[in-house]
Amino acid sequence: MAKLLEIESLRAGYGSINVLWDLSLSIEEGKLTCILGPNGGGKTTLLRAIMGLVKTGAGRVLYQGTDRTNAPTWDMVSDGIAMIPEGRMVFRDMTVADNLMMGAFPRKCRANAPKNLQMVYDMFPRLYERRDQLAGALSGGEAQMLAMGRGLMEEPRLILVDEPSLGLAPVVVDEVMAILDRLRAEGRTIVLVEQNTNKALKIADHVYLVRGGKVVLSEAADSVDLGRLHDLYFARDALNEH
Amino acid sequence: MSNVIKTAAFLAFAYIAVPLAVGSNTYVIGLIVAALTIGGIAVAWALLGNLGGMVSFGHAAFFGVGAYVSALLTLRGGWPVFPAMLVAGLGAAVASVATMPALRLRGPYFALAILAYAEIFRILATELKPVTGGAAGLLSIPRLPNVLGLDFGSKLGGYFVILTIVVAAMAAYHLIRRSAYGLALKAMHDSEDATRVVGVNSTVLKAWMLVVSAFITGMVGAFNAHYINFLEPDYAFAGQWTTLAIVSAIFGGYRTVTGPLVGAVVVYLVDQLAFKPILPQGHQIVLGVLLGAMILFSPGGLMPMLMAKLSRKEGPAHAA
Repeated sequence: MAKLLEIESLRAGYGSINVLWDLSLSIEEGKLTCILGPNGGGKTTLLRAIMGLVKTGAGRVLYQGTDRTNAPTWDMVSDGIAMIPEGRMVFRDMTVADNLMMGAFPRKCRANAPKNLQMVYDMFPRLYERRDQLAGALSGGEAQMLAMGRGLMEEPRLILVDEPSLGLAPVVVDEVMAILDRLRAEGRTIVLVEQNTNKALKIADHVYLVRGGKVVLSEAADSVDLGRLHDLYFARDALNEH
Repeated sequence: MSNVIKTAAFLAFAYIAVPLAVGSNTYVIGLIVAALTIGGIAVAWALLGNLGGMVSFGHAAFFGVGAYVSALLTLRGGWPVFPAMLVAGLGAAVASVATMPALRLRGPYFALAILAYAEIFRILATELKPVTGGAAGLLSIPRLPNVLGLDFGSKLGGYFVILTIVVAAMAAYHLIRRSAYGLALKAMHDSEDATRVVGVNSTVLKAWMLVVSAFITGMVGAFNAHYINFLEPDYAFAGQWTTLAIVSAIFGGYRTVTGPLVGAVVVYLVDQLAFKPILPQGHQIVLGVLLGAMILFSPGGLMPMLMAKLSRKEGPAHAA
Protein backbone atom coordinates (compact mmCIF):
# COMPACT_ATOMS: atom_id res chain seq x y z
CA MET A 1 0.00 0.00 0.00
CA ALA A 2 1.08 3.54 -0.68
CA LYS A 3 2.35 5.67 2.15
CA LEU A 4 0.21 8.80 2.35
CA LEU A 5 2.11 10.42 5.18
CA GLU A 6 5.61 9.78 6.42
CA ILE A 7 7.25 11.27 9.46
CA GLU A 8 11.04 11.08 9.50
CA SER A 9 13.01 11.69 12.73
CA LEU A 10 10.79 14.57 13.72
CA ARG A 11 11.74 16.89 16.56
CA ALA A 12 9.23 19.41 17.83
CA GLY A 13 8.24 21.13 21.04
CA TYR A 14 7.25 24.33 22.72
CA GLY A 15 10.00 26.88 23.20
CA SER A 16 12.87 25.31 25.07
CA ILE A 17 10.84 22.22 25.96
CA ASN A 18 11.25 19.53 23.34
CA VAL A 19 8.46 16.93 23.13
CA LEU A 20 9.11 14.79 20.06
CA TRP A 21 12.51 13.08 19.98
CA ASP A 22 13.35 11.91 16.45
CA LEU A 23 9.96 10.34 15.99
CA SER A 24 9.36 8.36 12.82
CA LEU A 25 6.23 6.66 11.56
CA SER A 26 4.23 6.22 8.40
CA ILE A 27 0.57 6.24 7.55
CA GLU A 28 -0.80 3.96 4.86
CA GLU A 29 -3.52 5.07 2.50
CA GLY A 30 -6.99 3.69 3.23
CA LYS A 31 -6.08 2.43 6.70
CA LEU A 32 -6.96 3.49 10.21
CA THR A 33 -3.74 4.03 12.09
CA CYS A 34 -4.02 4.39 15.83
CA ILE A 35 -1.50 6.30 17.90
CA LEU A 36 -1.71 5.28 21.54
CA GLY A 37 0.22 6.49 24.48
CA PRO A 38 0.16 8.07 27.92
CA ASN A 39 -0.40 11.76 28.64
CA GLY A 40 2.44 14.03 27.70
CA GLY A 41 3.88 11.45 25.34
CA GLY A 42 3.71 13.73 22.34
CA LYS A 43 0.63 12.46 20.49
CA THR A 44 -1.09 15.81 20.18
CA THR A 45 2.20 17.57 19.50
CA LEU A 46 2.78 15.16 16.62
CA LEU A 47 -0.58 16.03 15.05
CA ARG A 48 0.01 19.73 15.59
CA ALA A 49 3.46 19.47 14.00
CA ILE A 50 2.00 17.71 10.95
CA MET A 51 -0.53 20.52 10.60
CA GLY A 52 2.10 23.24 10.95
CA LEU A 53 0.63 24.47 14.23
CA VAL A 54 3.85 23.62 16.05
CA LYS A 55 7.19 24.42 14.46
CA THR A 56 9.54 21.50 14.05
CA GLY A 57 13.22 21.60 14.95
CA ALA A 58 14.47 18.72 12.86
CA GLY A 59 13.18 15.90 10.68
CA ARG A 60 10.68 15.87 7.83
CA VAL A 61 6.96 15.59 7.21
CA LEU A 62 6.29 13.95 3.85
CA TYR A 63 2.73 14.12 2.57
CA GLN A 64 1.89 12.48 -0.76
CA GLY A 65 5.59 12.07 -1.30
CA THR A 66 6.51 15.74 -1.02
CA ASP A 67 8.26 17.51 1.85
CA ARG A 68 5.69 19.59 3.73
CA THR A 69 7.68 20.24 6.90
CA ASN A 70 6.45 23.46 8.57
CA ALA A 71 4.01 24.21 5.75
CA PRO A 72 1.34 26.72 6.83
CA THR A 73 -1.72 25.12 8.40
CA TRP A 74 -4.12 26.50 5.79
CA ASP A 75 -2.07 24.92 2.98
CA MET A 76 -2.16 21.52 4.67
CA VAL A 77 -5.95 21.84 4.98
CA SER A 78 -6.48 22.79 1.36
CA ASP A 79 -4.21 19.90 0.36
CA GLY A 80 -6.60 17.50 2.04
CA ILE A 81 -5.63 17.02 5.68
CA ALA A 82 -8.48 17.57 8.11
CA MET A 83 -7.70 17.80 11.79
CA ILE A 84 -10.44 17.11 14.30
CA PRO A 85 -8.74 18.72 17.25
CA GLU A 86 -8.57 17.76 20.89
CA GLY A 87 -11.37 19.48 22.81
CA ARG A 88 -13.40 19.73 19.52
CA MET A 89 -12.64 23.46 19.01
CA VAL A 90 -16.12 24.18 17.65
CA PHE A 91 -17.11 27.83 17.20
CA ARG A 92 -19.37 28.22 20.22
CA ASP A 93 -20.99 31.50 19.18
CA MET A 94 -21.96 30.25 15.74
CA THR A 95 -24.78 27.94 14.68
CA VAL A 96 -24.20 24.28 13.95
CA ALA A 97 -24.83 24.94 10.25
CA ASP A 98 -22.33 27.83 10.16
CA ASN A 99 -19.76 25.68 11.96
CA LEU A 100 -20.12 23.04 9.26
CA MET A 101 -19.87 25.67 6.51
CA MET A 102 -16.59 26.82 8.06
CA GLY A 103 -15.25 23.36 7.21
CA ALA A 104 -15.92 24.15 3.55
CA PHE A 105 -13.82 27.33 3.71
CA PRO A 106 -10.96 26.08 1.47
CA ARG A 107 -11.78 27.37 -2.00
CA LYS A 108 -11.91 23.94 -3.64
CA CYS A 109 -14.53 22.74 -1.13
CA ARG A 110 -16.99 25.59 -1.60
CA ALA A 111 -18.65 24.33 -4.79
CA ASN A 112 -19.46 20.94 -3.24
CA ALA A 113 -20.46 22.39 0.14
CA PRO A 114 -24.25 21.89 -0.21
CA LYS A 115 -23.77 18.26 -1.26
CA ASN A 116 -21.27 17.59 1.54
CA LEU A 117 -23.53 19.30 4.07
CA GLN A 118 -26.30 16.86 3.15
CA MET A 119 -23.84 13.96 3.51
CA VAL A 120 -22.86 15.16 6.99
CA TYR A 121 -26.49 15.60 8.04
CA ASP A 122 -27.24 12.08 6.81
CA MET A 123 -24.36 10.74 8.87
CA PHE A 124 -25.26 12.81 11.97
CA PRO A 125 -29.04 13.30 12.07
CA ARG A 126 -28.67 15.00 15.46
CA LEU A 127 -26.69 17.82 13.85
CA TYR A 128 -29.50 18.32 11.34
CA GLU A 129 -32.04 18.62 14.17
CA ARG A 130 -29.84 21.20 15.87
CA ARG A 131 -28.57 23.00 12.78
CA ASP A 132 -29.87 26.42 13.88
CA GLN A 133 -28.68 26.18 17.48
CA LEU A 134 -25.46 27.69 18.74
CA ALA A 135 -22.64 25.18 18.92
CA GLY A 136 -21.98 26.28 22.51
CA ALA A 137 -25.31 24.71 23.51
CA LEU A 138 -24.36 21.22 22.29
CA SER A 139 -23.51 18.31 24.57
CA GLY A 140 -19.98 16.93 24.51
CA GLY A 141 -20.93 14.08 22.19
CA GLU A 142 -22.79 16.36 19.81
CA ALA A 143 -19.87 18.80 19.78
CA GLN A 144 -17.56 15.91 18.89
CA MET A 145 -19.87 14.96 16.02
CA LEU A 146 -19.93 18.58 14.90
CA ALA A 147 -16.13 18.68 14.88
CA MET A 148 -16.08 15.46 12.85
CA GLY A 149 -18.74 16.76 10.46
CA ARG A 150 -16.77 19.98 10.03
CA GLY A 151 -13.69 17.92 9.19
CA LEU A 152 -15.63 15.92 6.58
CA MET A 153 -16.76 19.17 4.94
CA GLU A 154 -13.09 19.71 4.07
CA GLU A 155 -13.23 16.72 1.67
CA PRO A 156 -10.14 15.27 3.33
CA ARG A 157 -7.76 12.64 1.99
CA LEU A 158 -6.39 12.22 5.48
CA ILE A 159 -8.29 12.72 8.73
CA LEU A 160 -6.40 13.33 11.98
CA VAL A 161 -8.63 12.72 15.00
CA ASP A 162 -7.28 13.79 18.37
CA GLU A 163 -8.78 12.00 21.38
CA PRO A 164 -12.41 12.00 20.29
CA SER A 165 -13.43 10.02 23.39
CA LEU A 166 -12.16 12.66 25.81
CA GLY A 167 -14.78 13.53 28.41
CA LEU A 168 -17.56 11.51 26.79
CA ALA A 169 -19.89 8.95 28.36
CA PRO A 170 -18.99 5.33 27.43
CA VAL A 171 -22.10 4.90 25.31
CA VAL A 172 -21.23 8.06 23.35
CA VAL A 173 -17.65 6.86 22.93
CA ASP A 174 -19.04 3.70 21.31
CA GLU A 175 -21.06 5.87 18.94
CA VAL A 176 -18.00 7.92 17.98
CA MET A 177 -15.93 4.78 17.42
CA ALA A 178 -18.69 3.31 15.26
CA ILE A 179 -18.60 6.40 13.07
CA LEU A 180 -14.82 6.20 12.73
CA ASP A 181 -15.18 2.52 11.83
CA ARG A 182 -17.72 3.47 9.18
CA LEU A 183 -15.40 6.13 7.73
CA ARG A 184 -12.63 3.55 7.63
CA ALA A 185 -14.94 1.13 5.80
CA GLU A 186 -15.57 3.88 3.24
CA GLY A 187 -11.86 3.70 2.50
CA ARG A 188 -10.78 6.95 4.14
CA THR A 189 -7.34 7.31 5.66
CA ILE A 190 -7.58 8.05 9.36
CA VAL A 191 -5.07 8.71 12.11
CA LEU A 192 -6.68 8.22 15.48
CA VAL A 193 -4.96 9.46 18.62
CA GLU A 194 -6.42 7.79 21.69
CA GLN A 195 -5.90 6.82 25.28
CA ASN A 196 -8.81 4.39 25.24
CA THR A 197 -6.68 1.42 24.18
CA ASN A 198 -9.31 -1.32 24.00
CA LYS A 199 -11.84 0.59 21.95
CA ALA A 200 -9.25 2.07 19.60
CA LEU A 201 -7.65 -1.34 18.94
CA LYS A 202 -10.96 -2.80 17.82
CA ILE A 203 -11.22 -0.49 14.81
CA ALA A 204 -7.51 0.06 14.03
CA ASP A 205 -5.46 -1.51 11.24
CA HIS A 206 -2.09 -0.49 12.62
CA VAL A 207 -0.98 0.66 16.04
CA TYR A 208 1.83 2.92 17.18
CA LEU A 209 2.63 3.44 20.83
CA VAL A 210 4.23 6.81 21.48
CA ARG A 211 5.92 7.42 24.81
CA GLY A 212 8.39 10.10 25.78
CA GLY A 213 8.31 11.55 22.28
CA LYS A 214 9.35 8.29 20.61
CA VAL A 215 7.67 5.34 18.95
CA VAL A 216 8.11 2.37 21.29
CA LEU A 217 5.86 -0.07 19.45
CA SER A 218 4.66 -0.43 15.85
CA GLU A 219 2.48 -3.40 15.03
CA ALA A 220 -0.53 -4.54 13.06
CA ALA A 221 -3.58 -4.11 15.27
CA ASP A 222 -4.68 -7.77 15.08
CA SER A 223 -1.31 -9.06 16.28
CA VAL A 224 -1.00 -6.75 19.29
CA ASP A 225 -0.57 -8.51 22.61
CA LEU A 226 -2.56 -6.40 25.06
CA GLY A 227 -0.43 -7.40 28.04
CA ARG A 228 2.77 -6.32 26.33
CA LEU A 229 1.11 -3.15 25.06
CA HIS A 230 0.05 -2.21 28.57
CA ASP A 231 3.53 -2.95 29.90
CA LEU A 232 4.97 -0.55 27.36
CA TYR A 233 2.19 1.95 27.90
CA PHE A 234 2.89 2.18 31.62
CA ALA A 235 6.65 1.92 31.14
CA ARG A 236 6.92 -1.33 33.10
CA ASP A 237 9.71 -2.36 30.71
CA ALA A 238 11.77 0.49 32.08
CA LEU A 239 11.13 -0.75 35.63
CA ASN A 240 12.27 -4.27 34.74
CA GLU A 241 15.54 -3.00 33.33
CA HIS A 242 16.59 -1.74 36.74
CA MET B 1 -40.61 44.16 5.93
CA SER B 2 -38.11 42.39 3.78
CA ASN B 3 -34.57 43.67 3.57
CA VAL B 4 -35.03 44.80 -0.03
CA ILE B 5 -37.94 47.07 0.94
CA LYS B 6 -36.02 48.38 3.96
CA THR B 7 -33.01 49.19 1.81
CA ALA B 8 -35.14 50.87 -0.84
CA ALA B 9 -36.95 52.90 1.82
CA PHE B 10 -33.63 53.99 3.34
CA LEU B 11 -32.22 54.99 -0.06
CA ALA B 12 -35.39 56.92 -0.98
CA PHE B 13 -35.30 58.69 2.38
CA ALA B 14 -31.62 59.60 2.06
CA TYR B 15 -31.52 60.52 -1.62
CA ILE B 16 -34.96 62.12 -2.04
CA ALA B 17 -36.71 62.97 1.22
CA VAL B 18 -33.76 64.55 3.05
CA PRO B 19 -32.72 66.87 0.16
CA LEU B 20 -36.37 67.89 -0.43
CA ALA B 21 -36.94 68.61 3.25
CA VAL B 22 -33.76 70.45 4.21
CA GLY B 23 -31.85 70.87 0.95
CA SER B 24 -32.33 74.64 0.89
CA ASN B 25 -31.09 75.10 4.46
CA THR B 26 -27.32 75.20 4.04
CA TYR B 27 -26.73 75.20 7.80
CA VAL B 28 -28.65 71.96 8.38
CA ILE B 29 -27.28 70.25 5.28
CA GLY B 30 -23.77 71.29 6.37
CA LEU B 31 -24.34 69.62 9.73
CA ILE B 32 -25.62 66.47 8.05
CA VAL B 33 -22.58 66.35 5.73
CA ALA B 34 -20.28 66.62 8.74
CA ALA B 35 -22.25 63.85 10.46
CA LEU B 36 -21.99 61.63 7.38
CA THR B 37 -18.25 62.26 7.22
CA ILE B 38 -17.96 60.87 10.75
CA GLY B 39 -20.43 58.15 9.73
CA GLY B 40 -18.22 57.07 6.84
CA ILE B 41 -15.21 56.62 9.14
CA ALA B 42 -17.47 54.90 11.68
CA VAL B 43 -18.63 52.32 9.09
CA ALA B 44 -15.02 51.70 8.04
CA TRP B 45 -13.96 51.46 11.68
CA ALA B 46 -16.78 49.02 12.46
CA LEU B 47 -15.78 46.89 9.48
CA LEU B 48 -12.40 46.36 11.10
CA GLY B 49 -13.67 46.38 14.69
CA ASN B 50 -16.60 44.05 14.17
CA LEU B 51 -15.76 41.76 11.27
CA GLY B 52 -12.01 41.95 11.75
CA GLY B 53 -12.24 41.94 15.54
CA MET B 54 -9.59 44.66 15.82
CA VAL B 55 -10.16 47.89 17.71
CA SER B 56 -8.23 50.66 15.98
CA PHE B 57 -7.25 54.00 17.52
CA GLY B 58 -5.47 54.97 14.34
CA HIS B 59 -8.09 55.70 11.72
CA ALA B 60 -7.14 59.38 11.75
CA ALA B 61 -3.98 58.28 9.91
CA PHE B 62 -5.94 56.82 6.99
CA PHE B 63 -8.27 59.83 6.99
CA GLY B 64 -5.33 62.22 6.87
CA VAL B 65 -3.37 60.29 4.27
CA GLY B 66 -6.44 60.15 2.02
CA ALA B 67 -7.01 63.87 2.46
CA TYR B 68 -3.41 64.77 1.63
CA VAL B 69 -3.10 62.41 -1.34
CA SER B 70 -6.22 63.78 -3.00
CA ALA B 71 -5.39 67.40 -2.19
CA LEU B 72 -1.86 67.10 -3.58
CA LEU B 73 -2.90 65.21 -6.71
CA THR B 74 -5.44 67.91 -7.58
CA LEU B 75 -3.37 70.92 -6.44
CA ARG B 76 0.07 69.95 -7.71
CA GLY B 77 -0.72 67.22 -10.24
CA GLY B 78 -3.74 68.88 -11.83
CA TRP B 79 -5.82 65.71 -11.45
CA PRO B 80 -9.61 65.87 -11.69
CA VAL B 81 -11.18 65.56 -8.23
CA PHE B 82 -13.11 62.28 -8.41
CA PRO B 83 -10.26 60.10 -9.77
CA ALA B 84 -7.97 61.74 -7.21
CA MET B 85 -10.36 60.71 -4.44
CA LEU B 86 -10.22 57.07 -5.60
CA VAL B 87 -6.43 57.15 -5.66
CA ALA B 88 -6.54 58.75 -2.21
CA GLY B 89 -8.37 55.64 -1.00
CA LEU B 90 -5.61 53.52 -2.51
CA GLY B 91 -3.02 55.76 -0.84
CA ALA B 92 -4.63 55.18 2.53
CA ALA B 93 -4.70 51.45 1.77
CA VAL B 94 -0.96 51.56 1.04
CA ALA B 95 -0.44 53.48 4.29
CA SER B 96 -2.31 50.69 6.08
CA VAL B 97 0.21 48.19 4.71
CA ALA B 98 2.88 50.14 6.58
CA THR B 99 0.90 49.66 9.81
CA MET B 100 0.59 45.90 9.32
CA PRO B 101 3.30 44.91 11.77
CA ALA B 102 0.72 46.00 14.37
CA LEU B 103 -1.45 43.07 13.24
CA ARG B 104 0.88 40.77 15.12
CA LEU B 105 -0.48 42.31 18.30
CA ARG B 106 -3.93 41.72 19.72
CA GLY B 107 -6.60 43.64 21.58
CA PRO B 108 -5.38 46.76 23.39
CA TYR B 109 -1.82 46.26 22.14
CA PHE B 110 -2.97 46.51 18.54
CA ALA B 111 -5.07 49.57 19.40
CA LEU B 112 -2.11 51.37 20.95
CA ALA B 113 0.39 50.37 18.27
CA ILE B 114 -1.85 51.72 15.52
CA LEU B 115 -2.36 54.91 17.53
CA ALA B 116 1.40 55.39 17.41
CA TYR B 117 1.41 54.75 13.66
CA ALA B 118 -1.18 57.49 13.19
CA GLU B 119 1.17 59.91 14.93
CA ILE B 120 3.98 59.00 12.52
CA PHE B 121 1.87 60.06 9.54
CA ARG B 122 0.97 63.37 11.17
CA ILE B 123 4.65 64.10 11.78
CA LEU B 124 5.46 63.18 8.17
CA ALA B 125 2.81 65.62 6.93
CA THR B 126 4.24 68.34 9.17
CA GLU B 127 7.88 67.80 8.29
CA LEU B 128 7.70 67.12 4.54
CA LYS B 129 7.33 70.86 3.94
CA PRO B 130 8.25 70.92 0.22
CA VAL B 131 5.44 68.46 -0.54
CA THR B 132 2.76 69.10 2.04
CA GLY B 133 3.39 72.72 2.91
CA GLY B 134 4.18 71.70 6.48
CA ALA B 135 2.27 73.11 9.42
CA ALA B 136 0.98 76.00 7.31
CA GLY B 137 -1.12 73.49 5.45
CA LEU B 138 -2.64 73.53 1.98
CA LEU B 139 -4.95 76.30 0.86
CA SER B 140 -7.54 76.50 -1.93
CA ILE B 141 -7.81 72.78 -2.53
CA PRO B 142 -10.07 72.35 -5.59
CA ARG B 143 -13.73 71.99 -4.72
CA LEU B 144 -15.87 69.11 -5.92
CA PRO B 145 -16.64 69.65 -9.63
CA ASN B 146 -19.67 70.32 -11.77
CA VAL B 147 -20.66 67.12 -13.56
CA LEU B 148 -23.48 67.08 -16.13
CA GLY B 149 -24.98 70.22 -14.70
CA LEU B 150 -24.91 68.94 -11.13
CA ASP B 151 -22.85 71.17 -8.86
CA PHE B 152 -21.18 68.78 -6.42
CA GLY B 153 -19.28 71.74 -5.02
CA SER B 154 -22.41 73.05 -3.31
CA LYS B 155 -23.43 71.92 0.17
CA LEU B 156 -26.21 69.78 -1.25
CA GLY B 157 -23.89 68.37 -3.94
CA GLY B 158 -21.40 67.44 -1.23
CA TYR B 159 -24.20 65.71 0.62
CA PHE B 160 -24.84 63.41 -2.35
CA VAL B 161 -21.15 62.59 -2.70
CA ILE B 162 -20.52 61.68 0.95
CA LEU B 163 -23.87 59.86 1.11
CA THR B 164 -22.83 57.73 -1.85
CA ILE B 165 -19.47 56.94 -0.26
CA VAL B 166 -21.18 55.89 2.98
CA VAL B 167 -23.82 53.80 1.18
CA ALA B 168 -21.10 52.06 -0.87
CA ALA B 169 -19.16 51.37 2.33
CA MET B 170 -22.24 49.85 3.97
CA ALA B 171 -22.90 47.73 0.88
CA ALA B 172 -19.29 46.48 0.98
CA TYR B 173 -19.67 45.70 4.69
CA HIS B 174 -22.87 43.76 4.02
CA LEU B 175 -21.37 41.76 1.13
CA ILE B 176 -18.21 40.87 3.04
CA ARG B 177 -20.20 39.85 6.09
CA ARG B 178 -22.36 37.35 4.25
CA SER B 179 -19.49 35.83 2.24
CA ALA B 180 -17.36 32.86 3.30
CA TYR B 181 -14.79 35.39 4.49
CA GLY B 182 -17.36 37.07 6.74
CA LEU B 183 -18.11 33.70 8.30
CA ALA B 184 -14.42 33.03 8.78
CA LEU B 185 -13.90 36.43 10.39
CA LYS B 186 -16.77 35.72 12.76
CA ALA B 187 -15.25 32.35 13.59
CA MET B 188 -11.94 34.06 14.33
CA HIS B 189 -13.56 35.93 17.24
CA ASP B 190 -14.28 32.54 18.76
CA SER B 191 -10.87 31.00 18.30
CA GLU B 192 -8.13 31.96 15.89
CA ASP B 193 -6.42 28.60 16.36
CA ALA B 194 -9.58 26.74 15.37
CA THR B 195 -10.02 28.85 12.24
CA ARG B 196 -6.50 27.92 11.18
CA VAL B 197 -7.36 24.27 11.72
CA VAL B 198 -10.20 24.57 9.21
CA GLY B 199 -7.90 26.14 6.66
CA VAL B 200 -8.30 29.89 7.08
CA ASN B 201 -5.25 32.06 6.52
CA SER B 202 -6.22 34.33 9.39
CA THR B 203 -3.26 36.68 9.00
CA VAL B 204 -4.07 37.50 5.39
CA LEU B 205 -7.77 37.85 6.17
CA LYS B 206 -7.11 40.38 8.96
CA ALA B 207 -4.72 42.29 6.72
CA TRP B 208 -7.38 42.55 4.01
CA MET B 209 -9.92 43.94 6.43
CA LEU B 210 -7.41 46.59 7.46
CA VAL B 211 -6.78 47.49 3.81
CA VAL B 212 -10.50 47.75 2.99
CA SER B 213 -11.19 49.80 6.11
CA ALA B 214 -8.29 52.14 5.34
CA PHE B 215 -9.42 52.52 1.73
CA ILE B 216 -12.89 53.68 2.78
CA THR B 217 -11.50 56.00 5.45
CA GLY B 218 -9.09 57.50 2.90
CA MET B 219 -11.96 58.22 0.50
CA VAL B 220 -13.86 59.96 3.29
CA GLY B 221 -10.77 62.00 4.14
CA ALA B 222 -10.35 62.98 0.51
CA PHE B 223 -13.99 64.04 0.29
CA ASN B 224 -13.58 66.19 3.37
CA ALA B 225 -10.49 67.90 1.92
CA HIS B 226 -12.34 68.91 -1.23
CA TYR B 227 -15.42 69.86 0.73
CA ILE B 228 -13.70 72.31 3.08
CA ASN B 229 -10.86 73.22 0.64
CA PHE B 230 -8.23 73.45 3.37
CA LEU B 231 -5.84 71.08 5.13
CA GLU B 232 -3.24 71.25 7.84
CA PRO B 233 -1.59 68.32 9.63
CA ASP B 234 -3.15 68.93 13.04
CA TYR B 235 -6.58 69.03 11.46
CA ALA B 236 -6.22 66.20 8.93
CA PHE B 237 -4.70 63.81 11.48
CA ALA B 238 -6.73 65.04 14.48
CA GLY B 239 -7.63 62.41 17.06
CA GLN B 240 -11.28 63.44 16.80
CA TRP B 241 -11.60 61.64 13.44
CA THR B 242 -10.90 58.44 15.33
CA THR B 243 -12.65 59.16 18.62
CA LEU B 244 -15.89 60.55 17.17
CA ALA B 245 -16.08 57.60 14.79
CA ILE B 246 -15.51 55.11 17.62
CA VAL B 247 -18.11 56.79 19.83
CA SER B 248 -20.58 56.80 16.92
CA ALA B 249 -19.97 53.19 15.98
CA ILE B 250 -20.24 51.86 19.52
CA PHE B 251 -23.16 54.13 20.39
CA GLY B 252 -25.07 53.09 17.25
CA GLY B 253 -24.16 49.43 17.47
CA TYR B 254 -20.93 48.46 15.77
CA ARG B 255 -22.03 44.89 15.12
CA THR B 256 -24.76 46.09 12.74
CA VAL B 257 -24.42 47.59 9.26
CA THR B 258 -26.63 50.60 9.98
CA GLY B 259 -25.49 51.22 13.57
CA PRO B 260 -22.34 53.26 12.82
CA LEU B 261 -24.19 55.58 10.44
CA VAL B 262 -27.19 56.09 12.72
CA GLY B 263 -24.81 56.52 15.65
CA ALA B 264 -22.82 59.19 13.79
CA VAL B 265 -25.90 61.17 12.82
CA VAL B 266 -27.39 61.02 16.32
CA VAL B 267 -24.13 61.66 18.17
CA TYR B 268 -22.98 64.49 15.91
CA LEU B 269 -26.32 66.29 15.69
CA VAL B 270 -27.02 65.98 19.42
CA ASP B 271 -23.53 67.23 20.14
CA GLN B 272 -23.76 70.22 17.79
CA LEU B 273 -27.38 71.20 18.38
CA ALA B 274 -27.91 70.39 22.05
CA PHE B 275 -24.58 70.37 23.90
CA LYS B 276 -22.52 72.94 22.00
CA PRO B 277 -24.88 75.88 22.71
CA ILE B 278 -24.91 74.99 26.42
CA LEU B 279 -21.23 74.12 26.78
CA PRO B 280 -19.23 75.98 24.11
CA GLN B 281 -16.01 74.61 25.57
CA GLY B 282 -15.58 70.91 26.17
CA HIS B 283 -19.07 69.93 25.04
CA GLN B 284 -17.70 66.64 23.71
CA ILE B 285 -17.23 65.42 27.27
CA VAL B 286 -20.98 64.83 27.29
CA LEU B 287 -20.48 62.27 24.52
CA GLY B 288 -18.47 60.20 26.95
CA VAL B 289 -21.38 60.25 29.38
CA LEU B 290 -23.76 59.35 26.56
CA LEU B 291 -21.58 56.44 25.49
CA GLY B 292 -21.23 55.21 29.07
CA ALA B 293 -25.01 55.29 29.52
CA MET B 294 -25.57 53.43 26.27
CA ILE B 295 -23.13 50.69 27.22
CA LEU B 296 -24.90 50.33 30.59
CA PHE B 297 -28.42 50.15 29.18
CA SER B 298 -27.82 48.48 25.82
CA PRO B 299 -24.32 47.10 25.29
CA GLY B 300 -25.26 46.26 21.69
CA GLY B 301 -25.88 49.94 20.94
CA LEU B 302 -28.77 52.05 19.68
CA MET B 303 -29.80 49.98 16.65
CA PRO B 304 -30.25 46.65 18.50
CA MET B 305 -32.18 48.55 21.21
CA LEU B 306 -34.54 50.13 18.63
CA MET B 307 -34.94 46.79 16.85
CA ALA B 308 -35.90 45.10 20.12
CA LYS B 309 -38.46 47.84 20.83
CA LEU B 310 -39.92 47.60 17.32
CA SER B 311 -40.24 43.84 17.32
CA ARG B 312 -41.96 43.98 20.72
CA LYS B 313 -44.55 46.35 19.25
CA GLU B 314 -45.11 44.14 16.24
CA GLY B 315 -45.84 41.24 18.56
CA PRO B 316 -43.96 38.08 19.48
CA ALA B 317 -44.65 36.48 16.09
CA HIS B 318 -42.11 38.86 14.57
CA ALA B 319 -39.66 38.60 17.42
CA ALA B 320 -37.23 36.59 15.29
